[in-house]
Parts: sequence; C-alpha cells; structure tokens
Amino acid sequence: MTLLGKLTWQAIPFQEPLPLFSGLAVVIVVVAVVAWVVAKGYVPYLWREWITSVDHKRIGIMYCMLAGVMLLRGFIDAIMMRTQQVMAYNAPGFLPPSHFDQVFSAHGTIMIFFVAMPFVIGLMNVIVPLQLGVRDVAFPTLNSVSFWLTAAGALLVNLSLVVGEFDKMGWLPYPPLSELRYSPGVGVDYYCWALQISGAGTLMTGINFVTTILKLRAPGMHYTRMPMFCWTALAANLLIVAAFPVLTATLAMLLLDRYVGFHFFTNTGGGNSMMFMNLIWAWGHPEVYILVLPAFGIYSEVVSTFSNKPLFGYRSMIYATMAICIISFMVWLHHFFTMGAGADVNAIFGIASMIIAVPTGVKIFNWLFTMYGGYVRFTTPMLWSLGFMVTFAIGGMTGVLLAVPPADFQLHNSVFLVAHFHNVIIGAVLFGVFAGYTYWFPKSFGFVLDERLGKWAFWLWLIGFWVAWGPGYVVGLEGMTRRLQHYDVAEWHPWLVVAEWGVFIILLGIIAQIAQIVVSVRTREQRRDLTGDPWDGRNLEWITSSPPPPFNFAVLPNVTDQEPYWDMKARAREIGQLTRPEPEYEPIHLPRNSPTGFVTAFFAVITGFALIWHIWWLVLLGLVGSYATFVVFAWRDHDEELIPAEEVARLDRANRAARSAALHHRQLRRETRQEPSE
Amino acid sequence: MSAPGTALRAGSDPYHIGHAPSTGVPEYTGHGGGGPSPKRIYVGYGFWIFILSDVVLFSCFFATYTVLIGARDGGPGPQQLFDLHTTALETACLLLSSFTCGLTSLAVARHSLLWSEVCLAITGLLGLAFLGLEAHEFIGLVAQGAGPTRSAFLTSFFALVGCHGVHVSAGLLWLGTMMAQFPAKGFKESIRHRYLCFSLFWHALDIIWVGIFTVVYLIGTITP
Amino acid sequence: MSSNRDEFDLGSHVGEDQVVGGAPPEMEHPTLRTELRGYLIGLGLAALLTAASFWSIDEHLIYGPGIVMALIVFGLAQVGVHLVFFLHLTTSPDNTNNALALAFGVLIVSLVFFGSIWVMFHMNQNMIPARALMQMRGG
Repeated sequence: MTLLGKLTWQAIPFQEPLPLFSGLAVVIVVVAVVAWVVAKGYVPYLWREWITSVDHKRIGIMYCMLAGVMLLRGFIDAIMMRTQQVMAYNAPGFLPPSHFDQVFSAHGTIMIFFVAMPFVIGLMNVIVPLQLGVRDVAFPTLNSVSFWLTAAGALLVNLSLVVGEFDKMGWLPYPPLSELRYSPGVGVDYYCWALQISGAGTLMTGINFVTTILKLRAPGMHYTRMPMFCWTALAANLLIVAAFPVLTATLAMLLLDRYVGFHFFTNTGGGNSMMFMNLIWAWGHPEVYILVLPAFGIYSEVVSTFSNKPLFGYRSMIYATMAICIISFMVWLHHFFTMGAGADVNAIFGIASMIIAVPTGVKIFNWLFTMYGGYVRFTTPMLWSLGFMVTFAIGGMTGVLLAVPPADFQLHNSVFLVAHFHNVIIGAVLFGVFAGYTYWFPKSFGFVLDERLGKWAFWLWLIGFWVAWGPGYVVGLEGMTRRLQHYDVAEWHPWLVVAEWGVFIILLGIIAQIAQIVVSVRTREQRRDLTGDPWDGRNLEWITSSPPPPFNFAVLPNVTDQEPYWDMKARAREIGQLTRPEPEYEPIHLPRNSPTGFVTAFFAVITGFALIWHIWWLVLLGLVGSYATFVVFAWRDHDEELIPAEEVARLDRANRAARSAALHHRQLRRETRQEPSE
Repeated sequence: MSAPGTALRAGSDPYHIGHAPSTGVPEYTGHGGGGPSPKRIYVGYGFWIFILSDVVLFSCFFATYTVLIGARDGGPGPQQLFDLHTTALETACLLLSSFTCGLTSLAVARHSLLWSEVCLAITGLLGLAFLGLEAHEFIGLVAQGAGPTRSAFLTSFFALVGCHGVHVSAGLLWLGTMMAQFPAKGFKESIRHRYLCFSLFWHALDIIWVGIFTVVYLIGTITP
Repeated sequence: MSSNRDEFDLGSHVGEDQVVGGAPPEMEHPTLRTELRGYLIGLGLAALLTAASFWSIDEHLIYGPGIVMALIVFGLAQVGVHLVFFLHLTTSPDNTNNALALAFGVLIVSLVFFGSIWVMFHMNQNMIPARALMQMRGG
C-alpha cells in the first residue's frame, strides 16, 4: 500500500481538455476570490461573523448562497447536455460517453442535493424561528455543523472534476453497475461519501427543526396559530428524520459491497440488486416531498400577503400538508413499476400515487380561493407563485398519468419522465425558492430587490422553461430514452433544437437574476427597508427590523391569533399606537459563536477524500480529528454571550420607532387613497 | 388585550438559555400555547427524535436481513452458525448494563460523583463484555469460512449485528467521555443534559438488541 | 440561579412538557426508593420476557407454528417494558409529543420493513428461474 492509496498523478485529467480547463478555470476563480478576500482583510470579519456563526439567519443565508453557486454549476452541466444532444444526431457530439455520463450524473446530484436542498433548508433556517417568535433554533451549534457538512459534500463533488472522476450511473448509482466489479474507479465512491457526509448534516437539520417547531414557539402560539410555512417546514423535517436514515443505510450497504466485498447488491453470492432500488426510492420519494412542501409553504405566505387576505382554508391546508407527509411514504414503488413486482403490487402503489394528488389539489384550490376576492398585487414573488400554479399543475398531471402502471411501462426512463420531474421540481421547488428569496431578501439584508429585473427574470424563466421542456414531453412520447449520448432518430432532432433555445432563454433569466442582485446591491441606499415590513406582511418575521437584531425579539411576542402580526397591526390601528408598551429591557443570553461546524466539516472532507482514495492512515487521522472536535466542544465552559440591556433597548427602540412611523404612514395612506384596510 | 392565560410578566424573557426553566404559562397542555419549553425538555426531545431516526436506519438493515435470509449461495445458514448460549450471555450483559445505566441516572439526579462513576463504570464494563462476546462470535464465524463475504445472508447478518456493535462502540466512547466529564465539570446543567442523551442512547441500543436477538437469532434459528 | 426543581433532575425522563403548577407534589420529587423500584421492576420483567423467548425455542413448551408469533409478542412486550420503565415514556398529556413521535417512528419502520419485504417477495417471485436463466445465457 502506497502512502497515498490509489491517488496518483493520473487522477488529474491532463489528457482531457474539457474537464482539465473547466477544472482549471474553477481553481483560478476560487484562488482569485480567496486572495481578494485575504488581501482586503475580510478574513477576521468573515470568520467572526459568518464562518463561526451559529445564528440561524446567517446560516440560512450561507445555505442559500451555496445553493446559488451550485445552481450555476448544475446549469452549466445542463447546457452541456442539451448542446451535446443537439449536436449528436448521427454524429458523436463533443462529449465522449464517459464524460457525458459524468455530466448528467453530476447535474442531477448537484441540483437535488446541493441546490434544491440547501435552498429550501436555507429559507427555513432564516424564517422559521422568526415566524415562531423565538430567538434561534433548538440547537444552534448543531445547525452550524449541518451547514458546513453540506458544504463539505458539495466540495467533494466538485473536487471530483479535478481529481479523479464522478460516477457515471446517473444521480442514483444503481447496482450492479455501481458495484466495484463494473465501476472500479473512484466516481461512485466520490458520490457515496459526499452524500453520506451531507446526509448527516441534513439529518441534523431535520432533528433541529422538528424540535424547534414542536417545542420552541412564542407564548400563545398554539399549533393552529402557526404560520403555514412552519407547518410545511414541520412536515418536511419529519420526512427528513424519517427518510434520510434510509439513504444513509443504503449507501452504506453499497459502500460495504465496494470496500469490503459484501454481497448486498452484487450479482454473485446471492446479492439482490433490486433491494437497492427498493430502499433508495423509499428514501427518494419522500426526498422530493422534502423539497416541495416548504415551497408550498412559501406560496402560502406569498399568496396571502400579496392578495391582502388571510390564507383560505388554513385548517384544510394543515390536513392536506400532513396527509401529503404521510402518504409520501407509501408510494415509492412508482419509481420502478417496470422492475417486475407484478400487477397487484403495482396497482396498489399506483393508486396511492394518484391519491397523493388529492391533498395537493386541495392546496392549489386554497391558494386560488385566497386570491379570489382579494386585492392582488403582482409583485415578483406573486408572479413566481402564479407561474408555479400553472406549471406545477401541468407537471403534476403528467405525474398522475405516469402513476398508471401500464402507461408507465411505455414512459419509464423516457424523456417524458425527465420532462415530468423537471416540470414539477422547477415549477414548484425552484420557482418557490425564487419567490422566497425575493420575498424575504429585504428581511435578511435590509433593502428590497429591483422589481423590474425580477419580473424580467420571472418571464425569461417561465418562457424558457416551457420552451426547454415542452419538447421533452413530445420526444418522450416519440420514444426517446433518457441520458442518450447520441441518437439517429430524425423526428427527435428539431425538438431538441427547440429545447436548446429554451435553455438559452433560461440562461438569460439567470443573468437577469444575477443582474438583479448586483444592481440592487449597488443602489441599496435608495431601496432601504426602514420599517421592517416592506410588503405589509402578516406573520411575525415582519415585526423585526430588517435585518433583525441577533436576538430577533427583545421580548418574545405574545400571540393571540393566527397571522399574529396582521392581528397586531389591526389592533394597533384601532388604538392608534403599537399594541405593547415599551418593555423593561433585560440582558439577553445568546449562544456563543463556535468553529465546531467548520472544523468538523474540515475533518469530514479529509476523511471523505481519504476514504475515496484508500489513504487509510489519513482516514484514521480524520476520524480522530472529528472525535477531538466533539471533545473540545463538549469541554467548553462558556457557551453563551450576553447582550447588555442597553444594547437590546437601543435596537428595540429603533424598531419600535420605525413601526410607529409605518403605522401612521399607512394610516395616512389609507385615509387619502382609500385603500382597503383588510 | 391579551387572551386569558397568556399574560406575560412585563419585561420577562421566557427563552432562558441554560438558566432556570420557564415558568411558562399555566395553560393546559395539548394546544402548545405555553411558550418555549425549558432546555432539558427540548434537549431530551431532540435526542429522542434522533433515536427514532436511528431506529429507521436499523429497520433498513432488518428489512435487508429478512429479504436476504434465504440467499445462502450454498453456504451455511442460521441453524448451523448461531450459538444461542452466546446470544443469551450477550443479552444478559446488555440488559444489565441498561439497568446500571438507569442507576447512573439516579445518581446523576442526586449529584453523587461516586455513584455516578461507579454505576457508569459497571455499565461500561458490561458493554465491553458484550462487545467482546460479539467479537469472539464474529471471529469464530470468519474462521469457519462463514464471514460476511461468503453470501448475501451472511453479509446482511454481519451488517445488522455489526451496525449495532458499532453503535455500542460509539456509545462506549461516549461513556468514557462522560466518565471524564463528571469529575472535570461537575453536575452543571449541560453535563446533565448530555448524560440524559447518553442514557436515551444506551437504552435504545438495548431495545434494538431485543429486536436483533428475537428476529436474527431466535426466529432465524427456527425457520428453515 | 437554579430553582429547587433544577437541583433535582428527573433522571432519564425523555423530555416531557411541564404542566406548570399542575403536577402533584409527590410527583415532583420522587424518592430514590420509588425510582429504584421502577428500574428493578423493569429489569425483572425484561429478564422474564427474555427467558421466555429463549425457552420457547424448545418446541415442547409452545405449539410449534405459534412460536414465531410468541417471539414477536415477547419482543414487543420487552420493548414496551424498556420504554415505560427505563425511558419513562407514558401516555400522560405531558408526554404527548414523545408518544406521537414514537407512533410516527413505528409507522415509518413498519412501512420500510414490511413494505420492503412485501415488494421484494413479489420481485423475487417474478424473477426468471435460475435454470432457465442459465439456458438463456447459453450456459
């Protein structure tokens, strides 16, 4: 055994220009950014305020930033795939098969695990404690560990571009192809270890948020007074706690097969590769509901705020959400109808898959009824919500179509399927997080995003999406299989060209989003949110200043009704002043910042890399380092810092003044313009 | 102005971090309007949720074991391999260690350093005995050519029982750390909460073992 | 700054909601004797159930085909004993969250365990028999 295990210079793709130059470009950009940060002297600030932060608001923002950066990487993969498929009609295209396989695998893995999950988790991080009216999540340091472990996983996946290779099986590495015998390279190992590490982080997030939502809420916030976003966050986190152990177990089994010669899924020794599909989809289906439920919650918030009406059918929304949560664990076989369970089993799972569309429909109708009779403002978040309703409804219907086993036998693993899941994930999850970050950006950063560019981004995305994926349904019905590196069917080609145009329209949409952020940051002084409540919001996050102070609330709000802030504002209007008199300020204890998360992730990356390349001594070092990190954390004596009462008073008084001013300003506006007040 | 029963003392800060539990609100439980729970409660609850997630992890291994129990590839099966005397001894060790873990909880509640360390040490020794017996069993199986690479059935056996063993090992590492923490840090709140989590973990391991010896060893031995 | 209640920690009780001002005084500070008795009863019952499980393997004690069911019942009972006597999980209103979490866990475990077995049983049944497979491979 050499000192560096399987790692040699061959791991770097010197012979292959595409990964070599793209890898080089990434390395140059990363080094340049780091050098700039160091040169400007930002490192102490970043370390103190962000890297070691255990504040849910900061951690949430970092999650969203990770997601945004990885969206760019995943999207570049998408452009490469579309281009390859346009070029490869009776031609080899520009991506050899081994690369094309890695590109589509990396695209899927990154988009699901390092774009959608972090975005959704990031928004939950920023907003849920604020909406619950509390100071932070239940386990703030664990929260930091969760984020950094996710980032560690993302780092490992991206490292595979430069050192080694990625897996070639798609975003789920089905055995026996993913077994050591047929995939002797490091690709599957990169995949598995990256996901084990980030999966551990996600599981911790699930535990954190279930505990926070069930055990830490402001006084008076009964379960039936919680905002809808918190209900959907609860359902999603329950699913995380229930499903992610399955992913961990299944990948562990695959790793045991690959590393130690076990026979879980091998062809020999009695292994059963179908068990992998069964288990991985038992995780995989709840996973997509983990992504979509918080997005539904975002829509509930956005639609009710911008319709100036309370959410229609709040209780039915709760039932629908929890029904989706439970049923989502009963449909997983629809991902492998064709694997041969037989008609009886297929029928039961098919019916269950159709049943789950019912509570989803309930939610859509509730959003529509919320808008009906309301005073609708077509701001960017509202546009995203409307785009979602149309797009997701169609995508959902194709899902119900696929839920019919005989139909699925024709369409399984065709581009129709690919179009369906892009339809629902982009339509629901991506549009949702876009609506969410636009809606909650002022709360996090203190200034509003540019509306015009936001609207441009929305229309480009909406049109681009349909131009890109409408053809997918067509070619799927014409028989095109997914993941084709080349083909010779003339009928498909024009549709794929149209799809390529769609991707470029989406690219313009992404450019508009980047421009929106750049322009908004540049002109931020003109677009300051001074009141903390730029949209006339309904829930507790809008009581705080923008951005909120580290302690969120000087005194935890007293909740007396559903939509607590709207209720407070109504009462404040009645009496002409803020509902609560200025409190007696007390010093507040906050959990202290900690490098535990960052250091844990550091050792995780080392251990993961060492495991991938079979550098056993480094594995041991990494494990010892991880345990040492835990011990150091467990041994600390000071785990809190005190914010003095004067500081609390200063920040809260400013907030109260701003809210009073807003109250009178809105009152004046209502009287002069006669806007509806409810 | 505020609903009856939800009045707060003016200027109070119900979300005490690491300090006295909230006097909260004298409301009936069930609707959840009492404000944030005290730290001991939500720490315990959070760890309970983790335990349940770990149980789901084990259920995957249990499911795989049951699916692959017949996949012997011409090799030996449960009747040929399992010695129920060892299993009974392992069960006794773990059950007693669960009991002594409970005794440790009583000692910790009364802030008794001596009894905490003694009971924890006994728990640890029983845990080590369990691991020793299990390691001996595993080595014996490998020696007779019935290692985890022999067949899918043996793979799933070693994985399930081994996973439990890895959890016990991690638990022993934690136990050792707790034994060092009590003298070093005393019985302050964070240490007691940590011990609460450890005891939940240790009891849960015994619960999993009940499942293992029932399904793997006992039912495995009597089914063909 | 710790209250009386803080000094006396309720051992390994899983987080239970406090009914502030509502719990009867004797519940607040259980004596060593009461608590010890609880653990001893738990140990005794668990030992009994374990012994019963091992002895029932000997076919003459229980009707043959019923042994598997007996083992399952003993196993579940012992899990219950652990939950009640060692983990202090009850169905009292303070414990609702914990009991619900357990119910959710049981649901998921059942779905994963029995679902997988059911699905894989059917999958295996529909596999081409080994001999026919060898023939197709030309072996």
